[in-house]
Amino acid sequence: MKKKILEAVMTVTMAAAILTGCGNAAGGNGAGSYTIGISQFAVHGSLDNCREGFLAGLAEEGIVEGENLKVEYVNAQAEPGTAAMTADNFVSKKVDMICAIATPSATTAYNSTLNSDIPVIYTAVSDPVGAGLANADGSSVGNITGTCDALAVDAQLQMIREILPDAKTIGIIYTTSEANSISTVAQYEEAAGNYGFEIVTTGVTAMSEVSLAAADMVKKVDCITNLTDNTVVSALQTVLEEANKAGIPVFGSEVEQVKAGCVASMGLEYFELGKQTGKMAAMVLKGEAKASDLKFETISEPSLYVNFAAAEKNGLTLPERYATDAYQSFDEIVVE
Amino acid sequence: MALILSVLEQGMIYGILALGVYITYKILDFPDLTVDGSFPFGAAVTVRLISLGVPAVLTLPIAFLGGALVGMCTGLIHVKLKVRDLLSGIVMMTGLYTINLWMAGSGYVPIFNKSTIFDNSTVNALFTGALSRFKTVIIIFVITMAAKYLLDWYMSTKSGFLLRAVGDNDTIVTSLGVDKGLVKIVGLSIANGLVALSGCIYAQQQRSFEISIGTGAVVIGLASVIIGTSLFKKVTFLRVTASVIIGSVLYKACVALAMFAGIDANAIKLITAVLFLLILVISMDRKKVK
Repeated sequence: MKKKILEAVMTVTMAAAILTGCGNAAGGNGAGSYTIGISQFAVHGSLDNCREGFLAGLAEEGIVEGENLKVEYVNAQAEPGTAAMTADNFVSKKVDMICAIATPSATTAYNSTLNSDIPVIYTAVSDPVGAGLANADGSSVGNITGTCDALAVDAQLQMIREILPDAKTIGIIYTTSEANSISTVAQYEEAAGNYGFEIVTTGVTAMSEVSLAAADMVKKVDCITNLTDNTVVSALQTVLEEANKAGIPVFGSEVEQVKAGCVASMGLEYFELGKQTGKMAAMVLKGEAKASDLKFETISEPSLYVNFAAAEKNGLTLPERYATDAYQSFDEIVVE
Repeated sequence: MALILSVLEQGMIYGILALGVYITYKILDFPDLTVDGSFPFGAAVTVRLISLGVPAVLTLPIAFLGGALVGMCTGLIHVKLKVRDLLSGIVMMTGLYTINLWMAGSGYVPIFNKSTIFDNSTVNALFTGALSRFKTVIIIFVITMAAKYLLDWYMSTKSGFLLRAVGDNDTIVTSLGVDKGLVKIVGLSIANGLVALSGCIYAQQQRSFEISIGTGAVVIGLASVIIGTSLFKKVTFLRVTASVIIGSVLYKACVALAMFAGIDANAIKLITAVLFLLILVISMDRKKVK
């Protein structure tokens, strides 16, 4: 009997969920009110900042969540299949726009919307051209555009040269499966010579290998610089620990890493990146521009982030102007 | 509607994978972790072939054969080198990671503008108007059914009987004068061939290859097999192969339901887990447990 009841309850819930899902498909957009589906690929500090920035950017343009904006947020928890289903879900709900955060979400959203007229705005995609979302000249391949989080390689190298005038080698640990890391490593290798550096790289395939790679790396280089590599950044504390043991500094690629103990970074402010994306989204929503006509954007000026506590730990004296030039500076190492 | 289609599409694609897992896990009693590598292997082979301009239809048999080769390697490592079953799978899965990267060219390869089995001149001419939104699900259904019936047919051949016998009672096989190692290798080949075929279709449906798609593939396969076989074990008109495919669709339906529930964006996995538990509890034979 119990079993029967459970069975019945289950069937009813399943049916109800599927039916209501379709029933609401109208997507509720009266005059001047919008629904946006946000598909975020993973739980990740930078990506969360992107999402908050995106909403802030929209708000600045007068599209405020809870007032004239309904937000549906799904986090795929790093599973491509779920990301695909998220996008299909948004298409079936006929949202006014999909905001895709990180490359796998962006490509699945593009794939799902190919047969609809829902625009996709992406952010935190390092290489939109490589991902097939933009043509080589930056123009869009379809009803999709967004912002790119490519690193400011030259600015970072220049900063490292300023802080470490005698350094010769920079180590980079990256994941061989992350296309964005591979292309950034190539950029570093190309630009390093201009600043008198040599790049030493080690590729890993999983988080568990990072500690081995770092232990080996610190013996060979004068400092380490990070990419936005998801795997390596997740294991940042392991890298920092090995580097601290060997007494060499680690440079970050964005604010969260500097906060967590990297000495400094000429990096991206993901909140700002999200905000810029939000403004693009507002233009598309208001009908001022079509996503297919907008080129993807990058952040023009990288910002300087400094962690004075981390510098002191490594016995480094930072240029004095850093205290005033820094977009944000930290006096302690915050490990979250 | 698009979500229901998505569930059916993904469910049936992973259903083919689940058929492979069913052969190893249920029939051969072999916990085969090769799946995490052979699923993306099928996808990697596919994007490489499509980028080279090979007609999309050909990717299906080639991916199957590629997967079969991979399964054969697992079998050889296990049978000939006498490595334990779990470990031979781990060895293959680990090695395949690099091979998949080489095969595809990089960790992410888009094939948005290429013709696939779902998007080519023949298919587009066949499915027009209102039918066009169902073309993907129809094509997947046809391929999945073809895979299911071919497997059913194979199981009724002499070789298929031997395969089933090896898992149940391998002394019978030996007493028949057949090398049970060989039967295992054949079983693993077919299983991983199916898994790679599933990866091949997945890559074309998603129009891209991503190195991490294999992570957890074996778990999805196992969950599908268990949901399918335990939920429908008393339903006599369904063959096990059909139950396994339905199990896979139910798995994806659980994920979709969890998404719809929309309590917390981060709660998808927990809700999915609770739904599984519900299914398993419902289908459990209470009297036996007591």
